[in-house]
Amino acid sequence: MKLKEIKRTAIQSWSPAQHHPIYLATGTSAQQLDASFSTNASLEFFELDLAEPSLDMKSCGSFSSAHRYHKLVWGPFDMDTQGRLSGVLITGGENGNVILYDPAKIMAGGSDVIIAESDRHTGPVRALDVNPFQANLVASGGNESEIYIWDMNNFASPMTPGPKTQPQEDISYVSWNRQVQHILASASSSGRASVWDLRKNDLIIKVSDHSNRMHCSGLAWNPEVATQLVLASEDDRMPVIQMWDLRFATSPLKILEQHTRGVLAIAWSLADPDLLLSCGKDSRILCWNPNTAEVLYELPTSSQWCFDIQWCPRNPAVLSAAGFDGHIDIYSIMGGSSQAQSQRHADQISNSFGNMDPFGTGQVLPPLQLPQTAAPPAVVTPLKKPPKWIRRPVGASFAFGGKLVSLENPTPQQPTSHLVHISQVVTETTFLRRSDQLQATLSSGRFVDFCQEKIDAAENEFEKTVWSFLKANFESDIRSKYLELLGYNREELASKHGFIEEESRFLKGSKYLIVIFSSSDVDGLITQALLSGDFEGAVELCLHDNRMADSIILACAGGAELLKKTQKKYFTRTHSKITKLISAVVMKDWHDILNTCELQSWKEALAAVMTYTQPEEFSSLCDLLGDRLEAAEDTQLKSQACLCYICAGNMEKLVSCWSRAQDGHCPRSLQDLVEKVVVLRHAVEQTQRSGPVSVGILLAEKMSQYANLLASQGCLSTAITYLPSSTNQVSNTTQRLTTSRRLTIVRKQITLKPFLSVGPQNGWNDPPALTRAPKKKPVPEHYMPPAPITAPIMSPLGADPHTQPMSSGAPQAMVQGPHVGPHVGQVPFSSMQQLQFPPAGLNSNMEGAPGAPTGDTIHPLQSIPAEKIMKKPIPHEHLVLKTTFEELIQKCLAIATDPQTKRKLDDANKRLEALYDKLREETLSPAIIGGLHNIVRSIESRSYTEGLNIHTHIVSSSNFSETSAFMPVLKVVLTQANKLGV
Amino acid sequence: MVSVINTVDTSHEDMIHDAQMDYYGTRLATCSSDRTVKIFDVRNGGQILVADLRGHEGPVWQVAWAHPMFGNILASCSYDRKVIVWKEENGAWDKMYEYTGHESSVNSVCWGPYEFGLILACGSSDGAISLLTFTGDQQWDVKKISNAHTIGCNAVSWAPAVVPGSLIDQPSGQKPNYVKRFVSGGCDNLVKLWKEEDGQWKEDQKLEAHSDWVRDVGWAPSIGLPTSTIASCSQDGRVFIWTCDDPAGNTWTAKLLHKFNDVVWHVSWSITGNILAVSGGDNKVTLWKESMDGQWACISDVSKGQGAVSTITDTQQNEQ
Repeated sequence: MKLKEIKRTAIQSWSPAQHHPIYLATGTSAQQLDASFSTNASLEFFELDLAEPSLDMKSCGSFSSAHRYHKLVWGPFDMDTQGRLSGVLITGGENGNVILYDPAKIMAGGSDVIIAESDRHTGPVRALDVNPFQANLVASGGNESEIYIWDMNNFASPMTPGPKTQPQEDISYVSWNRQVQHILASASSSGRASVWDLRKNDLIIKVSDHSNRMHCSGLAWNPEVATQLVLASEDDRMPVIQMWDLRFATSPLKILEQHTRGVLAIAWSLADPDLLLSCGKDSRILCWNPNTAEVLYELPTSSQWCFDIQWCPRNPAVLSAAGFDGHIDIYSIMGGSSQAQSQRHADQISNSFGNMDPFGTGQVLPPLQLPQTAAPPAVVTPLKKPPKWIRRPVGASFAFGGKLVSLENPTPQQPTSHLVHISQVVTETTFLRRSDQLQATLSSGRFVDFCQEKIDAAENEFEKTVWSFLKANFESDIRSKYLELLGYNREELASKHGFIEEESRFLKGSKYLIVIFSSSDVDGLITQALLSGDFEGAVELCLHDNRMADSIILACAGGAELLKKTQKKYFTRTHSKITKLISAVVMKDWHDILNTCELQSWKEALAAVMTYTQPEEFSSLCDLLGDRLEAAEDTQLKSQACLCYICAGNMEKLVSCWSRAQDGHCPRSLQDLVEKVVVLRHAVEQTQRSGPVSVGILLAEKMSQYANLLASQGCLSTAITYLPSSTNQVSNTTQRLTTSRRLTIVRKQITLKPFLSVGPQNGWNDPPALTRAPKKKPVPEHYMPPAPITAPIMSPLGADPHTQPMSSGAPQAMVQGPHVGPHVGQVPFSSMQQLQFPPAGLNSNMEGAPGAPTGDTIHPLQSIPAEKIMKKPIPHEHLVLKTTFEELIQKCLAIATDPQTKRKLDDANKRLEALYDKLREETLSPAIIGGLHNIVRSIESRSYTEGLNIHTHIVSSSNFSETSAFMPVLKVVLTQANKLGV
Repeated sequence: MVSVINTVDTSHEDMIHDAQMDYYGTRLATCSSDRTVKIFDVRNGGQILVADLRGHEGPVWQVAWAHPMFGNILASCSYDRKVIVWKEENGAWDKMYEYTGHESSVNSVCWGPYEFGLILACGSSDGAISLLTFTGDQQWDVKKISNAHTIGCNAVSWAPAVVPGSLIDQPSGQKPNYVKRFVSGGCDNLVKLWKEEDGQWKEDQKLEAHSDWVRDVGWAPSIGLPTSTIASCSQDGRVFIWTCDDPAGNTWTAKLLHKFNDVVWHVSWSITGNILAVSGGDNKVTLWKESMDGQWACISDVSKGQGAVSTITDTQQNEQ
């Protein structure tokens, strides 16, 4: 495909591979006279800007020169040392001069663009080449067998590669070897090629087929095989390209014969040794595989000859061809169509007219539709064989569960088969180690040790406190342990009391005489009241006289009711610092104190709650305090709320409080949190402090995060144990995790199958039929499968989480593994199987699982008859869909008279199972689910037309494949319901 | 640690160009210059050849698994200018669709997020990108972006389906207003972002930083943050990480991840979006991770599927 064109008759050279952006240098050709017979010459630079769609190339600078050029080469000399930003352009002129230009200066429009020049050659310099290994060395060839090697660091004194060849001939081409830096080849128009060794300073071999008809126009070394080169002949009688190997220099290795007239130029791609370009006087440009002598591609060209052709060193798909018709064309070897170009061209013309109103008529040009059928786009077929540079040899891609899939293709150095490695990438090693510890603790139940380790390793005081509190949960007297942690040790307190008791003992000795007064002062009145048995009056009197102690003592005698009353009165009158506390202790009302106490004394408040409150209100009171602390401004206090929540056994609040203080995304803090929550959960379940343990939204989310993190490290089976069991929390990743795990286990089941069916080897002498019997066991109609995911931490402590599904009928059959395990020497295998069985996987319908392979390998499993009952339940919130649709169908059936309608409805009833399956699998998008709920609402209000409208909306806005199984059925039902008017 | 858990001898007769696991990580699809696509069941370390798909007439460059909610569907693209969509039906794999609308090698295929249905982006050496949408009843709708990348598109990768700038959950029952976007890289050294507006694909952004062919692009999975991240790698040895924080998606900043000494062929994000695997011409795979301070660090050199993982980022995190 033609990309660009430059309207010049010129020779050309691409900027070196290191150079960005890509430029093409052109120089007026010495061989060419244009119509004006002008002898002026110029160098010009053009930028190859592929982002610009037009065919034009932007001129970036030019230089008028007195000389015309035979040859241009652009080398990277000094480019890396910042000396010359764009390297050096070396030109060979008609007067035997070799000139070095600075392209950067020409493009900048500067003067002093010539770096050096020499006219040592006696005739025109037609051949130039820069050494690919040493950019400062350039070889040149002129008439009379003159070859010079120029060192651009010391340009004045060129070297010769050896004594001149005899007979003297004009050098048409020089080329450095691509593998060995001191080997140079030269070719002459008389047809011979000479190979020079610069270390020996001598000719080492001459290559000629002795036909004397070769007129060498081009020479190129094989980019990969050091001893191979090609020679092109421009003689029309022998328009061939010969491939030679210097090791067998008696005759050409291969002869490429397709051109019908002389070959003018060749170019061997450095990016792919299987690509060689040639252009000839037959006006063809061919791309060969020189190693097989096959033509891979023919470029569509104009009818004119091209005299020069070059690969772009930087962009391997790009080549330039200079023709005698006054064009340099830039092509892509990758094919493609010229259609885009003609569109571009049309756009360009439209643009030139500006504003789509070319003639100022006020009429806008209609957009041009190119007649696409009239002229089929000129499709250019690509190369027969893909070039090396698009053959991607490597490519590692990540996959689910932290897997990395990488390729290993054989190389000449390492011949292997074509392999694909599946690797497990584990980046969070610390995290995984801690997760393992947690798992070990969970299975062993040694929570006290675990907490103790955490306390010992705690990095700060708070962490230590939190773990101490958690640990307290697993000790005998939880509350006193808590109290101790809060700084209230009963024994210590007791020793302090001792001192006071001493004093009171001392007082006991004295005796008081009892004197009964009955005077009219207060004492007297009280006495009277007492004597008359009027406790209430006496108490009242005592209170009035501020004799608090007396009043309380009396009230004790006056019965419980009076005592209560008196206490109340006492508290309203007394206002010491600890009155509130005493009041709460006596009145057993802690809400007030917790609501009003100074937050700084939260510890005291908590301690009081520990000591006095009943188990049933303990949690809520701790929560209350926690809430207050969390609402505090002081961050210190805020974090203390966690302790309250631990005491309360409130995981949800612990999670929310904790995650507010931490960056929950980093694996470390997630592990920190999960450890605490999991331990707390066990504690709560152990003590049954707060009834059934429910999983809140936040906790579920954190658990999902944790499971995903574990999954990303490849621990799928562990991850699954952490997944929250509430079905409405199922996220995509959760579904992915469970299904992935299930699919894997399904396979295990199959690999186990042969063992199961081999009767005698079973060891227990059970015939196979018996082994399978449980699978066929009838299951009660109202059988509810166990909760989809029963994670160890979600089940009561001590109970093996896996015993639960085992006891429930159907899945039991699936856990036959352990029976077989020991016998077949697969102990780790089978025990692992037992551990890893997620009941969810077993209960769901294999066929319905998205992505479940249905290949031959699992056919045996599909025949298990227990399939039907193994379906997952429909999530509770979507159950209404099923009931409503079924109800509607039943109603219609009851009314419908003609058998055809009945049949339709019966059929619909069955076919809606597809929808229910999708609900079970939870594969439907929220949009569709929402729409279905809307339909249900319209059914409930009996507005079936509205239902049909919603139906249309769902179908039009959703993915067909997602809904095609049930939406048409639903439409039938709605239409019938509407018609029957049920 | 990167440790080999399974090595599959594919028995391909020529160079393998791509290998992809399905959504659940239970099956492996490979493609090769031997013109075939193979599917292996690799569960539990196994390597059972499930299918040997023949239909391409040239080297097969890439394979891509569709989301399993559409069934078991695999797309492949080839030098033969064709894209083939394969589907498993009753245990047998068959052609579901063959697209022949490109005029040169099709270098890359990528399925869009499942929220958009079955939609496949294909990048070709003819410079165009095709978008194939399954409309039901064996019908596919074709949209074509002509001249997306002059002389060739090498890679396409979809943006995750998130509503730009919004993390708020959409009310269920209402189809969220997702915008379809993807990124492409090509021989014009450009990374381009494309966006669908009113059913038409438009060039949204042009990201310039590479000085040679862009070999691959990868849009990172969404991890719930409003930032969009794209990785691009090039013939020039450079890998750039492009990020965009603004909801409109207009301002992209490039950060050089590393300059390698050889061409970088492929980039791949981990499912969690925090690790980037970079595959270079020297057949070395390196894993990169962003540290807490936003610097990208190489955490592993993987050779033949194996390598150690350095804990630079771990210690950095611990210090924080």
